[in-house]
Amino acid sequence: MEAEKNQQQNHHDSHKKAGPIGIRHLVAVWIGKTLIALTRILGRGGTTLPGRAALAMAPGLSYVLAGRLSRGTIVVTGTNGKTTTAALIDGILEEAGFKCIHNQSGSNMSWGVASTLIEHSSWTGQMDADIGVMEVDEGAFPGVTAGLQPLGVVVTNIFRDQLDRFGEIDSIRDLIQKGIDALPPGSFQVLNADDPSLAALTSGKDVKRWTFGLELELPPDEFLNTGRDIKTCPVCSHKLEYTRFYFAHIGHYQCPSCNYQRPEPDLKLTSCSAGNEGFNRIRISLPEQKLEAELALPGLYNLYNALAAVTCARALGIPGPLISRALKKATPSFGRMERFEKEGREIVMALIKNPVGANEVLRTLLNQPGTINLVVAINDRIADGTDVSWLWDVDFEQLAGAKSRFTKIIASGRRAWDMAVRFKYAGFKPEQILVVEDTGRAIEEALEQTGTGSELFILPTYTAMLEMRGHLNKMGLGSPYWEGS
Amino acid sequence: MGKINIYHLYPAHLNLYGDRGNMLALCRRANWRDIEVNIVPVGPGKEIAFTSCDLLFMGGGQDSDQKLVAEDLKRRHREIQKAVQENMVIFAVCGSYQLLGHYYTTARGERIGGLDIVDLYTDAGRGRLIGNAVISCSLWDPPRTLTGFENHGGRTFLGPGVQPLGTVLYGFGNNGADKTEGAVYKNIIGTYLHGSLLPKNPWLTDHLLRKALAFRHQDTALRDLDDSLEEQAHQAAVNLAARRTHK
Repeated sequence: MEAEKNQQQNHHDSHKKAGPIGIRHLVAVWIGKTLIALTRILGRGGTTLPGRAALAMAPGLSYVLAGRLSRGTIVVTGTNGKTTTAALIDGILEEAGFKCIHNQSGSNMSWGVASTLIEHSSWTGQMDADIGVMEVDEGAFPGVTAGLQPLGVVVTNIFRDQLDRFGEIDSIRDLIQKGIDALPPGSFQVLNADDPSLAALTSGKDVKRWTFGLELELPPDEFLNTGRDIKTCPVCSHKLEYTRFYFAHIGHYQCPSCNYQRPEPDLKLTSCSAGNEGFNRIRISLPEQKLEAELALPGLYNLYNALAAVTCARALGIPGPLISRALKKATPSFGRMERFEKEGREIVMALIKNPVGANEVLRTLLNQPGTINLVVAINDRIADGTDVSWLWDVDFEQLAGAKSRFTKIIASGRRAWDMAVRFKYAGFKPEQILVVEDTGRAIEEALEQTGTGSELFILPTYTAMLEMRGHLNKMGLGSPYWEGS
Repeated sequence: MGKINIYHLYPAHLNLYGDRGNMLALCRRANWRDIEVNIVPVGPGKEIAFTSCDLLFMGGGQDSDQKLVAEDLKRRHREIQKAVQENMVIFAVCGSYQLLGHYYTTARGERIGGLDIVDLYTDAGRGRLIGNAVISCSLWDPPRTLTGFENHGGRTFLGPGVQPLGTVLYGFGNNGADKTEGAVYKNIIGTYLHGSLLPKNPWLTDHLLRKALAFRHQDTALRDLDDSLEEQAHQAAVNLAARRTHK
């Protein structure tokens, strides 16, 4: 392990920038740290204001602080799976003996990254950590990558998400390319080979490219009819052909016109079978070895997240056995199938934010046996996406197809009525739909109708999740997010 | 009872902003009244016999898809033009609304010729016009509100022979300047509003269904439905647009 570490150190010595910190940056750190302390006292996990204020004072602050990490930073971006992938990378690095810092999923803009760095720096601007693992919003990716000059980046996938902010999918890919172009020589990029829009991205000079992909035989997918946002070849715009579909546009593809095709991945997940106590046994084939691991995270999307994290760990030279050990310890991240227990009733909270991710959550939900108690809470604040039309691209019809298994379903949040209409047009009878706009009251109502020994599923958008977690915290469940999760 | 043939144009390419919701609203509200709906997906390159189409639905697409679609559509120009003159119903949202006009300019400055069916054109503008919108629509007397979400870079301007779909109460509308939103020409309705538009504005859905039934001289009387959920959703969305808060 030490040898591995040393190897890494030689490679990235250029990232170490010790020496005294400039007065402007120091003042910015103080401002940031003071504001963090203040927001805590006020009982809020504010991560926007401290970073924004500090960056206004010293725009290059993140670069300076990140440069004081002994190894540097890893940046994780993509539409879905950022949080889980970043958490898995963090877990693997900790297992390998590195001290890591990471941002919370809600603070993934440039100021969130700055807040995280400030929080972990001393009042004199010293960083007591080796590596920063930062999940970064696609929109902020070019700026953050240029600013941090990271060791490497990981891109999970691109789906339709929050078009109100980015315009269209083409522009999201342009943003990712911009970020990759800003990578320093000697760094690496990890890309999903099964996503046709990512595999076509070009790599910069002296940037090592690692790809990962699934090689599994899976039964046909009932959720295939929505969310296939990329149907044409990113090189020549001809319609792509697929030999395997995993979900949405993710699979094994080729262009019949220009011969663009899925690259042979460096890391392949070749088998996944049910193991003991809810664990999946997975086998990953690396260039020079095979790796077996157990993973407790459910769903196909988590196989991709795990694979992305393992690929990043390999790019950093972490040995296989350490990776397996870390994967086994992984628990669901903040609001991603997170579990709480209340008087014999289990509460499962699963963030939904776009059609592809939501369909995966619905699929996992329908795999549960027995009666299903459900709250869907839709907000339309900026962090949720202000346009709720994506709800119509989610296959709620699948739930309506099993409607006798549901008790009253509750629609909540600022867009509760939109969600209620969505349920109605999906095929639920209006009598089965209950609208409770207030998210706190929605939880209470739902718990009342959830019998002992059964599960309550809460599917919130991002800010609805923060609200509902707050309510659960008040009931004595879970801990506030700024105390770590 | 009645029967409506809905042609869904390029469903794989024009499906950007919850267009599925619009199709679902048309189907459900017809089915709830025992009106049969037959959906015909039309892909690029396929022959279309517009003679059996009652309602043509065209959704929104990304620039790259829209260009592909524009090329294909132009080859069908004459058939569509003829059907329009015969009062076929067309409902076009966002990108395909732009395609109905003389031309539109993409964000990258490329000018793409349209179908020339409706007297309107679309120029590129600085920044996208994004947010909740409410318009007052004179398809009814007294006018009723329509509410949806708009997200477009193009600025659309209507020629003299074309009526706007409505007057902007909240939001930007066609170009952010003249308070018009959408266009009505013969039995064509074009709009920038999605959200999806039809589920939350059931009177517009019913208007389209009636027009589609009338096209082939079927009985246009529609049984009343319990729209309390839809009306609540409509009102809640109008209130949000009026407050314009998204923090």
